[in-house]
Amino acid sequence: MLRATLKGMASRKARLVLTSLAIVLGTMFVAAAMVLTSTMDKSLSGLVADAYEGVDGVVTPTSADAQFEEGFGSASNLIPAEALDTITAVDGVDAADGAVEGQINAIGPNGKLVGTFAPTIGFNWESNANQEFYGFQEGTEPAADDEIAVSTKFLADSGFDIGDRVTVYSYTADRAEFTIVGVFNLPGDRDSMAGETMIAFTTPAAQQLMTKGEDVYSAVYLYGDFSTDEVDQALGAGEYKVQTGQEASDELAQGLSVISSVMGYIFLGFGLIAVFVSVFLIINTFTIIVAQRQRELAVLRAMGAGRDQVVRSVLAEALIVGTIASILGLGLGLLLGWGLSLAVGEFMFSGLAVQFTVPATTLWALVVGIGVTILSAVVPAVRASRVPPVAAMREAANPPKPLRTITIAGAVVTLVGTALIALGLSDNLGGEELLGILSGVGIAFVGITLLTPIISKPLVSFLGLLMSWSFTGKLGKLNAGRNPRRTAITASALMIAVALITGIATIVSSLKATTAEALELNLDSDLIVSGLQTGANIPTFASERIDELKALDGVESVGDVYVDFMGAEVDGEGEILSSSQDLDATLKVFGGTVSEGSVTDLAADSVVIDEGTAEKNDLALGDTVEVTFSDGTTTPLRITAILDGYDLTDGWWVSPEQIEHFAIPKPMQAYIAVTDGADLLAVQADVEDVLADEPEVGVTNNAEFVEQQTSGLDTLVNAVQILLALAIIIAIIGVVNTLVLSVLERTRELGLLRAVGMTRGQAWRMITVESIIICLFGAVLGIGVGIGLGWTVQQALESEGLTNFALPWGLIVTYLLVSVVVGLLAALAPAARAAKLNVLGAIAYE
Amino acid sequence: MPLANPPAPTGVLTRTRAAVTATGLWRAYGSGEAQVVALRDVSVQFTAGAFTAIMGPSGSGKSTLMHCLAGLDTTDRGTVNIGETVLTGLGDKALTRLRRDKIGFIFQQFNLLPTLTAEENILLPASIAGARTDPDWLRRVIDTLDLRDRLSHKPTELSGGQQQRVACARALATRPEVVFADEPTGNLDTRAGTEVLRFLRRSVDDFGQTIVMVTHDPSAAAYADRVVFLADGQIVDELRRPTADSVIDKMRGFEQRAPIAERTAR
Repeated sequence: MLRATLKGMASRKARLVLTSLAIVLGTMFVAAAMVLTSTMDKSLSGLVADAYEGVDGVVTPTSADAQFEEGFGSASNLIPAEALDTITAVDGVDAADGAVEGQINAIGPNGKLVGTFAPTIGFNWESNANQEFYGFQEGTEPAADDEIAVSTKFLADSGFDIGDRVTVYSYTADRAEFTIVGVFNLPGDRDSMAGETMIAFTTPAAQQLMTKGEDVYSAVYLYGDFSTDEVDQALGAGEYKVQTGQEASDELAQGLSVISSVMGYIFLGFGLIAVFVSVFLIINTFTIIVAQRQRELAVLRAMGAGRDQVVRSVLAEALIVGTIASILGLGLGLLLGWGLSLAVGEFMFSGLAVQFTVPATTLWALVVGIGVTILSAVVPAVRASRVPPVAAMREAANPPKPLRTITIAGAVVTLVGTALIALGLSDNLGGEELLGILSGVGIAFVGITLLTPIISKPLVSFLGLLMSWSFTGKLGKLNAGRNPRRTAITASALMIAVALITGIATIVSSLKATTAEALELNLDSDLIVSGLQTGANIPTFASERIDELKALDGVESVGDVYVDFMGAEVDGEGEILSSSQDLDATLKVFGGTVSEGSVTDLAADSVVIDEGTAEKNDLALGDTVEVTFSDGTTTPLRITAILDGYDLTDGWWVSPEQIEHFAIPKPMQAYIAVTDGADLLAVQADVEDVLADEPEVGVTNNAEFVEQQTSGLDTLVNAVQILLALAIIIAIIGVVNTLVLSVLERTRELGLLRAVGMTRGQAWRMITVESIIICLFGAVLGIGVGIGLGWTVQQALESEGLTNFALPWGLIVTYLLVSVVVGLLAALAPAARAAKLNVLGAIAYE
Repeated sequence: MPLANPPAPTGVLTRTRAAVTATGLWRAYGSGEAQVVALRDVSVQFTAGAFTAIMGPSGSGKSTLMHCLAGLDTTDRGTVNIGETVLTGLGDKALTRLRRDKIGFIFQQFNLLPTLTAEENILLPASIAGARTDPDWLRRVIDTLDLRDRLSHKPTELSGGQQQRVACARALATRPEVVFADEPTGNLDTRAGTEVLRFLRRSVDDFGQTIVMVTHDPSAAAYADRVVFLADGQIVDELRRPTADSVIDKMRGFEQRAPIAERTAR
């Protein structure tokens, strides 16, 4: 029996290659994901493994918030200089270096910030005194307070050179000029760790910039042979976090491994989608192989082969194909993983030396590939075993199987899924709404897939109408509708991929519509001053600009917004605090209205909230709350006004006098209303002039602003599309496979058509129409399901602020056009085969 | 069970125009040791408006001859004419068009497209050509074949005999120069076979259709005006106004000679 299987396989090479390709691609992506995760994990942790090399102990502030805040110059919780003496006094401590580190801004020769997509890190060179961490390249170390050393990356990014003067400032410190006196490299002769640029100052200069000039440190590095417990005790048990160098390195590495595993999960996700899509292809191929071998199988059965032998023969074929394809996929996956790791290291971590590692888990890809192939072949195998021996004697007329069972099953499953979604959306699942909705979506997905054969009947006829203007088109349409199960399963593969991208695109366009509506319809401003946030770099500008803007011709009013969003608390709960120099004007620009009280000339101890916030916190006009600002200042504030509920102005508004306690006491955005009749572009140009010396922000009009705010989302959609292209490729292979097999099955019919006068071109067109209809069917179904998916997510997130539902029309039309092109391409090989058909061979009987 | 003798053909012999002419046809398959010569120097004419049967034992080359005459197969040497058209040397496109416009086909099996109704199958060659069929003519053909109430049926809903009658209607619908029938009764029971043969006979008598039929059944050949006998790739004899018995007699003669011919061929 095995020999018969092998012989049979050898005679169907082309088909096996197509089936294998699907398995190869799926396995390849799964393996590549594993390799990428582990390689990046190793490379990144390798990068920081020596971050504290030679350092025997590290003392840092306890609260995680303080760690984050150090960049914004909050002096609370940092380590006072006196602590250095306490530490040095501990037994065994030879030396202790206080480090001041934080995020700063440097203005490049072009007037813009250096390093747009990664922050500039400032630190005091002295913290490096007892270790050889940074490799000095040239020049001298910073000795005077206006001297700095910079990383090679800084020079490369900015275009500065040794001897140049650089303007540097931070959120808490005004601009100051420094002279570049030296250049250093990071460990391993790297110019940067992840794209960031670095500047080393003297300790006083660093403190001026990053700790508001106070003599405190963000970390202390210890050297010697001591016990961390003793250091902890000396500092007042638990006051600070005391770690060994190794512990600190491990903690850093852990943080980084999150990045690599997130990337790995994304690739794994797409790999699994690819595997899922290939399941359809494999099932289809084996079903057709079995159908074609029906006579052969019947002869075997007639000769006495048992049912189990037939099942085994089909499964043996699956095992052989699955094994070969999976091994191939594994090999290619290792290559892909290596390439991806190199690319990620090069582009995301600017030249990270990749330590290629292949984890044992990669072998799972093999298990997945072989397992999926065999599982997919089970149904066709069992079906094959049901071929009665008498089929050998009959003409191979296979009436299509009735669709009733599969349709009923599909309807039930779809209903269950939809019910779950409905219950979840109407908050009837007792706290498990999200889980309910997600599993509902998954179940409905499976249900709809089961329903595709029955849906294919009307939909294929309808789509076929578009093609029926020629007789060959009509024949193609009839062929596409001939075997609904096969058409459906072929189209399903495409459907899944299209549904996923359409779903994501729908969510994104809903997000965009929500943003655009909030900004365009409600915002009474014409120009917006803002910067695009990149990384941890929060763009701000000097508050004096507001007055300069107000003074411009054609400017009616200016609303400004200051935000304190890290570490601010109200009655012990983390909240985001806002403020404005002129809340009256700002409210007007936003279109917000006051419900109770007054917002004019807010007293220092007053706070303004919206109705919703008041209700949620059970507060009323005149009540007092305890507000803590980022700098640690805590003060009672009285509610002096309540605003009408309104998305754009909801939250906590404090008096401008409190702005000095904000982490960043600078405005982040300004909204400008232009006088009626004024030339918008002229005003915009004037505003630009005012902002000439503000490297972080620019001015945009409303349309540009919406575009700017949502451009990141477009990138997301594009990235997803590229990754899902893999699933689409597999789907295309599926279409090709189905068509090739259909052409083979219909050899005699094609022969007849050619004999009675169908030209080669007509035969070609007939197959192409069939292909396009299958692809369009998959795309239409996918778009439908994707829109449903997007709608469900939008409904689920409506309470979170995703209030608008919008369809990505442009993309939908694109997907339809692409599916037509895919249909044309997929038909190439099968159509050529049909056109080249030897008429005589096709009609001659056996 | 032998079929009843067909009625004697009338009036056809007075017309002598040749619908199909083959001159000096050679056709060989394979090469070297394995070469099989299927046709060796075959010259034959098929009179317009006549029903001709080609007979011969298996492997005699009768199917090859028909394929060459119908432009389905190429010849190594010699020429084939259909009406005024010389087939030899025509490209695929011209041959396809010729088959579509001037030739009708009836095959033994796989004769109809399962996706189309009987009527659509009848109109198939015209539809492919994008041409219209003469409705009066079509009505006549359909009525003669008694298919009127079967037109909207799919092939799977028709009996074998009905299917073959649909195929006959299709072959005649475009009023081709010649209809080639390849064992048209091979897959049918005697009764259905008789119906089809009677129709072919009638289409010659009533419509003046030219028909060339390949068969190995003497009683089917008896419906023809003339039988051409092929053996070992050559035309060895012919018989006018055949009867089943006279055909059987002839055949018996060839079968006795065949082994000798085979021996000399090697």
